[in-house]
Amino acid sequence: MKVVALVSGGKDSTYNMMKCVENGHEVVALAHAHPPEDAEKEELDSFLFQTVGSSAVRTISECMELPFYHKEISGTAVTQGLDYELTKGDETEDLFLLLSEVKEKHPDIGAVSVGAIFSSYQANRVQHVCDRLGIQMLAYLWHREQVELLQEMVDSGVEAILIKVASYGLGREDLGKTLRQMTPKLLTLSEKYGVHACGEGGEFESFTLDCPLFKKRIVIDESEVIVHSADDVAPVVYLRINKVHTEPK
Amino acid sequence: MVNFTVDQIRDLMDKVSNIRNMSVIAHVDHGKSTLTDSLVAKAGIISSAKAGEARFTDTRADEQERGITIKSTAISMYFELNDDQMEDIPVKDNGNGFLINLIDSPGHVDFSSEVTAALRVTDGALVVVDTISGVSVQTETVLRQALSELIKPVVMINKVDRALLETKLTQEVLYQNFARVVENVNVSISTHQDEKTMGNLMVSPELGTVAFGSALHGWAFTLRQFAVRYSKKFGIDRNKMMKKLWGENYFNAKTKKWSTKSADDSGDKKDRAFNMFALDPIYKIFDSTMNGRKDEALALATKLDIALTSEERDTADKALLKVIMRKFLPAAEALMEMICIHLPSPKKAQAYRCDLLYEGPKDDENATGIRNCDPKAPLMLYVSKMVPTSDKGRFYAFGRVFSGTVASGLKVRIQGPDYVPGTKKDLHVKNIQRTVLMMGRSTDPIDDCPAGNIVGLVGVDQYLLKSGTLTTSETAHNMKVMKFSVSPVMQVAVDVKNHQDLPKLIEGLKRLSKSDPCIQTFTSPSGEHIVAGAGELHLEICLFDLENDHAQVPIKTGEPVVGYCETVQATSSLTCLSKSPNKHNRIFMQAAPIGDDLTKAIEEKEINPRDDFKERARRMADDFEWDVNEARKIWCFAPDGEGPNLLVDNTKGVQYLNEIKDSCCNGLQAVAHDGPCANEQMRGCRFNIMDVVLHADSIHRGAGQVMPAMRAVVYASMLSAKPTLQEPVYLVDVQCPESAIGGIYSVFNRRRGQVFEENMHSSSMYNVKAYLPVAESFGFTTDLRSATAGQAFPQMVFDHWSTMGGDATDPADKVNAVCRAIRKRKGEDENVPTYDKYHERL
Repeated sequence: MKVVALVSGGKDSTYNMMKCVENGHEVVALAHAHPPEDAEKEELDSFLFQTVGSSAVRTISECMELPFYHKEISGTAVTQGLDYELTKGDETEDLFLLLSEVKEKHPDIGAVSVGAIFSSYQANRVQHVCDRLGIQMLAYLWHREQVELLQEMVDSGVEAILIKVASYGLGREDLGKTLRQMTPKLLTLSEKYGVHACGEGGEFESFTLDCPLFKKRIVIDESEVIVHSADDVAPVVYLRINKVHTEPK
Repeated sequence: MVNFTVDQIRDLMDKVSNIRNMSVIAHVDHGKSTLTDSLVAKAGIISSAKAGEARFTDTRADEQERGITIKSTAISMYFELNDDQMEDIPVKDNGNGFLINLIDSPGHVDFSSEVTAALRVTDGALVVVDTISGVSVQTETVLRQALSELIKPVVMINKVDRALLETKLTQEVLYQNFARVVENVNVSISTHQDEKTMGNLMVSPELGTVAFGSALHGWAFTLRQFAVRYSKKFGIDRNKMMKKLWGENYFNAKTKKWSTKSADDSGDKKDRAFNMFALDPIYKIFDSTMNGRKDEALALATKLDIALTSEERDTADKALLKVIMRKFLPAAEALMEMICIHLPSPKKAQAYRCDLLYEGPKDDENATGIRNCDPKAPLMLYVSKMVPTSDKGRFYAFGRVFSGTVASGLKVRIQGPDYVPGTKKDLHVKNIQRTVLMMGRSTDPIDDCPAGNIVGLVGVDQYLLKSGTLTTSETAHNMKVMKFSVSPVMQVAVDVKNHQDLPKLIEGLKRLSKSDPCIQTFTSPSGEHIVAGAGELHLEICLFDLENDHAQVPIKTGEPVVGYCETVQATSSLTCLSKSPNKHNRIFMQAAPIGDDLTKAIEEKEINPRDDFKERARRMADDFEWDVNEARKIWCFAPDGEGPNLLVDNTKGVQYLNEIKDSCCNGLQAVAHDGPCANEQMRGCRFNIMDVVLHADSIHRGAGQVMPAMRAVVYASMLSAKPTLQEPVYLVDVQCPESAIGGIYSVFNRRRGQVFEENMHSSSMYNVKAYLPVAESFGFTTDLRSATAGQAFPQMVFDHWSTMGGDATDPADKVNAVCRAIRKRKGEDENVPTYDKYHERL
């Protein structure tokens, strides 16, 4: 089946693409919802999308040599319940418009690749959009045990770094570290305080620099640390990626 | 001369009705250790000649040097009663031999946590009171501790020799002195006793529960002994005779008539029976020996059936006095008799102590085993303290078998204080390597130890910090954690002189923490190693141990500092809001004070997090004016799940609220040790969760999100509720002659002290009681001694927390300055934050 992959740049959407390929599907295009160009609004605290690191997502399509579709997020989380019904001005409608465009350009796609693990909130919305477009949702990570999954991602060659932290126990010093470096700390936090090891509750966001599907790897040339909200034990801090280039592998 | 063997003791351990577990407790310097020595001499561990000089139980060099007891020490002794004495033993199915497990404990207030640990494993207490200085503050403290543990007291009025030799009191004045001491002890007992479970515990000479004597000279008596002597002569029943020998009973030697009036109608003066029959012979012996009338003294000895050897006959003065008195009224005889007759056996005591000691259901197999002191029931053993072994860094776990039998090699469940039944929290299942009998300086291995006995265990110390429960039953709950009457309010930072020694220091701190029930060691947020203890002397001893024993590396110490508490004095001026890091969850909160009475009730465990919540809510409504519905919605106590701060759910109809309850509680627990003003522990605050807005999907409202929001909102609500500090205050008890009083007042005035009581308690000696902030107590003792030419002796014990008032967030306030100083010391930004640092707008 031909598949369009929803990519945020994070480890989960990347790893789910790998899973699609492993299961005999073909990824033909990447789709991405991005925050408005205004630098002030880079972190929207969106309920649906990862917005940090958006500026560099286009590079992933370069690495995979696939067409890239994107749309600006104009809506907000109007419907905040677990289930979704068509709501005007909701950010889910941005996703609908984005995937509609891809479907128009690639009439032969039959499914969307999504990196959701436990968030029913997000899965319900993607499912809603898929139903309306008459395509399937492929979420191979759905309800996988997070500690095991984290280990599996690291082992299968997903090289991703933390670009945002927002959780008890994580701080500025963790930004830019790779998943492999972070694994022991995440496991401790998971065991001690019940922090989700894969960051599914929004504990952290990541950006993929390399994975077996990439033909080139991404190198970050320039980035800056932005403090979103200061707090002694759980500061919200993210990395704004200003300049990247790709290198042959 | 050892007159018993370990095997003999082991046999006695099975005869549980003939066991007495007892502690010796008293104010510092009232003569506990000396008294213990004279008992030990009788039981045969050291020779009688050395009794009174050796201080057998003070095993440490510094204890011998300073002349005070620092650590409590246990000894097992064997004593045989004669048939006549056996008549007064309630249960006599095991012969005349008795096993007495005695624990000598420190008298200085700084070490009263040692007393607590001693009391837990005993059933009775010998309270020693100095006849000259009377009932002191520490006597009252230890009595209160004993009674709260359901320990039965008997009293020894000590240092009677000094009353005769130094102050030369007349017989009637001495009697009045004794009567006053007995009365004062009984005032303390009646205030703190639990009459419902144990009956009336007041002591009285006519019942034989009070002994009089001199531990130093090795003599003592109870009225029972004189009653035995005289009941034959007068043909009066012994028990009736005892009653006649105390109180308003007089005997006219001429008419040989008893009366209850001091003078009869004809105006003839009569002598009080106590003076005539008990004191008079003693006075005569003192008088004749000390005034060189040796012949008279020897004649008196013959008359009293005291057989003296020819060598003893050659002595004179004080030595002769000691010999005669020791043979006339041997202290060990009187005290052992009193202990065996009046203190309960483990079997008797555990029947009423079980409900207090066991936290589980009152009718499970473990509770039944404890109540019956059954050696065949599942093992229930409470470890009350750790005793260092000769092997550096290893400890004997010292405790009492309450049920079952503990043996070398037995596989047991080691349950720490945080163990929750049905879980694996704070639980280890291990084999006991060895069981030992603890005897003062030495230990003797034994194969096993049945219920009702005190024992030392090898191989448990790695799994318990300071205390805990050992059991073989999987359903067993914990034995109740001990409640200490002292708090570690004084802290000192320690560091190594040579950096490469740091690992040794850290290991040493761990050992120190294990070796003392009350000491706390921790690392401050700025990375300093802190040792917290009850007072200057306690810290001094602990640091000495740390440097010389536990770490064995040179250390340097900072100035001692005081631990404060943070509290609030009003309801938050606004409803504070904090969001989770992902911004999708919001918590609204207000803080408010819970009041001194409830705070204390929680600290004293009268209001207990483990109580049934409905019953607790009822009591909070009745006693502390809480809304009963709010009281039912207390989510947790903090810190450590039991402290005096409450998290209360005041929300209405919030979906998924219960899912985040654990994260909220954990969030509060994580910050309750570090308040927002000065990173000191919170005390006396309630945190009302007013409303919560949550992400619809549970994955987005996990602990990682809720805990930080909780922490921020707790800080914001405290900072907007007139936060302030509470400082610890000592109760100081000073004994001094009248001439020193002026000096005492001036020292207190200089140090913010408040004198609130001044009593003359014996001719020319005064008792001054005052409150003194712990922060002002450094060097107080030295200062006081120099201001009074060394005549005043203070005892300081933590008494209460005093709220400093003001608003810690107001830079113009005094309390703000204190906060800034603490923050600076801890290496933090000096400025106390205001609530808007943590409060977020919608």
